[in-house]
Amino acid sequence: MSSAGGFVLPVILALPLLGALFVMLVPRGEATVARGVGLVVSTATFLVSLLALTYFDGKQGGYQLATDAVWIKSLGVHWKLGIDGISLWLVLLTTFLTPITLLAATSSIDKHVREFVAAFLVLETGMLGAFVSLDLFVFYVFWEVMLIPMYLLIGIWGGQRRLYASIKFVIYTMVGSLLMLVAIFYVYVQHGQVTGIYTTELLHLTADGQRLGLGQLALPHHAQVWCFAAFALAFAIKVPLFPFHTWLPDAHVEAPTPGSVILAGVLLKLGIYGFIRLAMPMFPHGAAVLAPYIGVLAVVGIVYGAVVAFAQDDVKKLVAYSSVSHLGFCALGLFSLTVSGIEGSLYAMLSHGLTTGGLFLGIGVLYERRHTRRLSEYGGIWKQMPLFSALYLIIVMGSAGLPGLSGFIGEFLSLFGTFNAADTFPKAWPGYLPSPRLLAAIATTGVILGAIYLLFMFQKVFFGPLDKQKNGDLPDLTLREKVVFLPLVVLIFALGFFPRPFLAKMEPSVKAFLADYHDKLAEPDGPAHIYGTAPDVTAQLDRAADELDQAAARLDAVAAKLERAVAPDNLKAGGQP
Amino acid sequence: MNFATGDTLYIAPLLILALAGVLLVLAEAFFTGRDRTTLAGLAVAGGVAAAVASIALYRHVGPDEHRYLFGEMLVADRTGYALSALLSVVIALSALVAPAHMKAHDWAIGEYFGILLLAGTGMLMLAHASHLATVFIGVETMSIGVYAMTAMRRRSRRGNEAALKYFLMGAFATGILLYGMAMVYGATGSTSLVAVRERLVSGNLALLTLGTFLMVAAFAFKVAAVPFHMWAPDAYEGAPTPVTSFMAAAVKVAAVAAMIRVFGQFMGGDKLPFGSVGWASPMVVLAAITITVGNIAAIRQDNVKRMLAYSSISHGGVLLVGLCAMGLGSPSGQSALVYYLIAYALTTMGAFAVVSFVGNKANERLGINDWAGLASKHPGAALAMTVCLLSLGGMPPTGGFFAKFYVFKSAMDAQDQQLLWVTIIGVVNSAISIFYYLRLVTAMYFKEPTGEFAPTRAPGLTFTMAACAVAVVVMGIFPSFWAAL
Repeated sequence: MSSAGGFVLPVILALPLLGALFVMLVPRGEATVARGVGLVVSTATFLVSLLALTYFDGKQGGYQLATDAVWIKSLGVHWKLGIDGISLWLVLLTTFLTPITLLAATSSIDKHVREFVAAFLVLETGMLGAFVSLDLFVFYVFWEVMLIPMYLLIGIWGGQRRLYASIKFVIYTMVGSLLMLVAIFYVYVQHGQVTGIYTTELLHLTADGQRLGLGQLALPHHAQVWCFAAFALAFAIKVPLFPFHTWLPDAHVEAPTPGSVILAGVLLKLGIYGFIRLAMPMFPHGAAVLAPYIGVLAVVGIVYGAVVAFAQDDVKKLVAYSSVSHLGFCALGLFSLTVSGIEGSLYAMLSHGLTTGGLFLGIGVLYERRHTRRLSEYGGIWKQMPLFSALYLIIVMGSAGLPGLSGFIGEFLSLFGTFNAADTFPKAWPGYLPSPRLLAAIATTGVILGAIYLLFMFQKVFFGPLDKQKNGDLPDLTLREKVVFLPLVVLIFALGFFPRPFLAKMEPSVKAFLADYHDKLAEPDGPAHIYGTAPDVTAQLDRAADELDQAAARLDAVAAKLERAVAPDNLKAGGQP
Repeated sequence: MNFATGDTLYIAPLLILALAGVLLVLAEAFFTGRDRTTLAGLAVAGGVAAAVASIALYRHVGPDEHRYLFGEMLVADRTGYALSALLSVVIALSALVAPAHMKAHDWAIGEYFGILLLAGTGMLMLAHASHLATVFIGVETMSIGVYAMTAMRRRSRRGNEAALKYFLMGAFATGILLYGMAMVYGATGSTSLVAVRERLVSGNLALLTLGTFLMVAAFAFKVAAVPFHMWAPDAYEGAPTPVTSFMAAAVKVAAVAAMIRVFGQFMGGDKLPFGSVGWASPMVVLAAITITVGNIAAIRQDNVKRMLAYSSISHGGVLLVGLCAMGLGSPSGQSALVYYLIAYALTTMGAFAVVSFVGNKANERLGINDWAGLASKHPGAALAMTVCLLSLGGMPPTGGFFAKFYVFKSAMDAQDQQLLWVTIIGVVNSAISIFYYLRLVTAMYFKEPTGEFAPTRAPGLTFTMAACAVAVVVMGIFPSFWAAL
C-alpha cells in the first residue's frame, strides 16, 4: 500500500463539502454567483483528481494514494482512504461528470439555485467518499450520506410525482442498506472474536486466513453466504438488478435532468462497486455460492430492461430502462469472475456513465425547448438542430455498443468473460441454472435489442417529417451546451478507440482481486460462530446441579451425624453424640 | 444509614437542583401577575450550575471508581455524573424554552420552574441510585412532578385528560414497582442493591425472577414500552410542548438511568445467574414489540407531537435493546446506552423546540400539513428540524446514527441469538422510521406554504434549536469523546 500523493483524496472529499458550505453563504437571490461557485469548486475538484493519475502507479495492484487516521478509537474505526485500478476511473468519472452536470443545470434549474448547488456538491462528496473509503464504517456513512441530497434533488426540483418518487427512492435504498448494516455488525463482532482485533478496516476484514497466521477464515461458510446475501441486497437495489429495479424508472422520470445524470452516471455504479470492493473480498464463499444466481438475474435484467425500454413513450423512462439493461451487463461481467469479465464490467460502467449521462443531458436539452418527453411529440428535429442531432447520434451509438465507441468494449469484454466463466466455477455452478455460455448467448440478444430501442428512439425524435408545429423553431445548441456535450463525445470516442490505457491501469488490480479471491476460496472453513448456543442456560443447569450436590452433601452429613447418634456405643453413653 | 458529612460533596448537583427548586417555589409567591422570565433565568442558572457541578465531579472521581454514599444509598461514579450532567442540561433547556411558550399560549404558571427542578432532583437521584429505596424515592419525586406539569394548562381538556391518564397509570406502575422490590427483598434479604448483587446467586430464584419481571414491567411503563405505552401519546399531545419535550427527553433518560443501575449494573453481567433466562428475556420481547409498534403507529400520525411521541416510544425500545445487551454481558453496552441517551435527549429537545417555535397562540400548527413550506419561510428552523429528524431516524452523519450503530453493535457483541433477532428487527425498523420522519421533511421542503407563518420568536427557543442541531451533528462527526463517557 503506497501513500504517495495521499493528500489528493482528502482534498477532493473536502473541496465539494467546503464549496457547499461556502455557497450557502451566497445571498439568496444571487443565482449566477451560486452557479459560478459550484462550477469553480467542482472544476477544481476535477483538476485535483487528475493529480491522482500522475501519482497512480498502473503496474501495482494494491491501494495507492492512501491516508490513514484514527476516527473512533474504541471501535477501531479508521479514516482510511485509498484507490486502486478499480476505483481510480470511477473517481475520475464522478469528478468529471459533476462540473458538466452543473453547467448543464444552468438552464434547467431556476429555483433555489443556491440550495441546489449545495446539495449537488454534498452529493459529490458522498459519492467520492464511498469510492475511496477503505473502512466499512466510513463507507457506510458515505453510502447513507448520499441519500439525503439525492432525495432533496428529486423532491425539490423534480417533476409531478416527485414526492412519491423521492420517498420510494429513499425507502428502497434504506431497506437494503440497513440489512447490510446488520451484516457489518456481524462481521465486525465475529472477526473481533476470532482474531482479537476489533476493527472495521476493510484490509483487516478481507485479509483473513493464512495471512493472519490463523490458517482459517474468520467467518464460517454459511455465515459468509448470509452476509453476502445481506450486502448483495443493498447493492442489488442500488445497481439495480432485475426484481429490485422498480424504484429506478420512477426516480429517473421525476428527477430533474442533473439528478438523472448523476443517478445513472455515478450512483448506480456504487452498487457494482460495492460488490467488487466489499462483498466479494469479504465473503468469497458467499460470492461463489450466489454468483450464478446473480448472473441469471443480470441476464433477466438485460433482456427485460431492453424489452420494456422499447415499449416506452416517455424518453426518460426509455433511458431509465436501458440503464437496467446496461447495468445488467456490468453485473454479469463481474460475476463471471474472470479477468476480462470484470474489466469489461468496469469498462461498461465508465461507458454507461458517459453515454447515459449524455442521453439524459440531451433529453434535458429537448425538454427545455419543448417541455415534453413524449416520443410522439417529436420528429424531424435533425432539420432544426443539426449539430445537436449529430452529437446525440454519437452518444446513442456509444450506448448501443457500436464498435469504435465506448459501449462496445465493455459489453464485448463482459460477454467474453461470461462465455469463459464455466472454468472459474468448476464445482459451484448449479446444474439447474443455464450454463455461463448460454447466459452469455442470451445476454448478447440484449446488445441487439439495445440497438433496436435506441435507434427506434433516435429515429422517432430526429428523423421523419417535421410535422409538429411546435418543433418548427427550436434553436440549436448554445455555446454553453456545446461545452457540455463536446467533452462527453470526445471521451466516448477516446474510450472506444483507445481502451488500452484505461484497461492497463485496471488490470493489475483486477488480477490481484481475482488471485485473492481464489486464494481465500481455497482456505479451510472458519470456526463455528457462537450464535445459537445458550451458555446461560448451561450455567443455570450447572448451578442447579451444584446446589443439588451441596444439598446432597449436607444430607450426607446429617445422615452421618444421625448414624453416629444411633450407634450402639453412643447410645450407651447416654444418647449424646 | 450512616450519614457522613464528606459524602455531601458528591451529591452537590442534586442539592443545587433541590435548593433552586425550593427557592423557585417560594419566589413564585412574590411574582404573581408578573413576567416569569426572571424565574426562568433562575431555573436555567440552577440547571447550568448542577451541570457544571456534575462535570466537575465527573472529573474528580476516577474512571473505575464507585464510591458508595450514605451507606450504599447512592453511588458516585462517572456514569452517574455523565447522566446527571445530561439531565441538568435538559432541565436548563426546558426552563429556557418555557417562557416564550407560556407567553404565546397563555399558561404563565410560575410553579412550572420549581416543579421542573424538583422533578429533576428525583431524576438525578435515579442516576446515582444504588439502593431500592432511592430508586423508589427518585421515581416518585420525578413522576409526581411530571404529573403536575402535564396538567399545567388547567383549562385545556386534553391536558387534564392526559394528566389524569398519566397519573392513574403511573400509580399502578408504582404499585407494581413496589411489589417487585418487595419480592427482590424477600429473595435476598436486603434493599441495598450492592447487597442484592452479592446475594443474587444464593437467593430464591423464583422470587427473584418474579420480582425482577415486575420491576421490568414498572420501568417499561416509565419508558413507555409497548404494551405499557398507552398513556404516552395522549400525555405528550396534551401537555404543553416544553413539558412534552421534558417528558420525552428527561423522563426517558432518568428511567433508563435507573434501569442501567438496577438491571444492568446490579443484576446483569455475564457473571451473574441472570442473563438470557432472567429479566433480559421479557425485556428483549418488549424491545422488539416496542420498536415495531412505535414505528408503525407513528406512520399513521398526522399530528407532529403524536408522531414524535410514537417515535420516542420506538426509541425507548432501542434503549431496552441496549439494556439487554448490557445485562447479557456486552462490554460496550453501558457506554453505548449513555451515548444513545445523550444523542436522543439533545435531538428530542431540539425537535420540540422547533415545534414550539412554529406554533403560535392562534394556530399551534401541529398538523404535518401545517408545516408545508416552512423551509422557504424559515430555513434555519427547517434545517434544525431536518437535522433532528435525520438524527432520530439514524442517518449519518448525526449523533442518532452513531447511537444506533453503537447500541446495535453492542447488542451483537453479546453473542446472543435473541439479540441478533432484535437487532435485525430494530435495524429494519429504522427504514420504516425514515418514512415518517421524511414525511415532515417533505412537507417542509417540497410543498408550498399554505399561509403565513407567525412563529413564536424568542432567544431561548432559537438558542435551543441551534445548539441542539449543532450538538447532534458534532456528536455524529466526532463520536469518540461521547462514546467514552
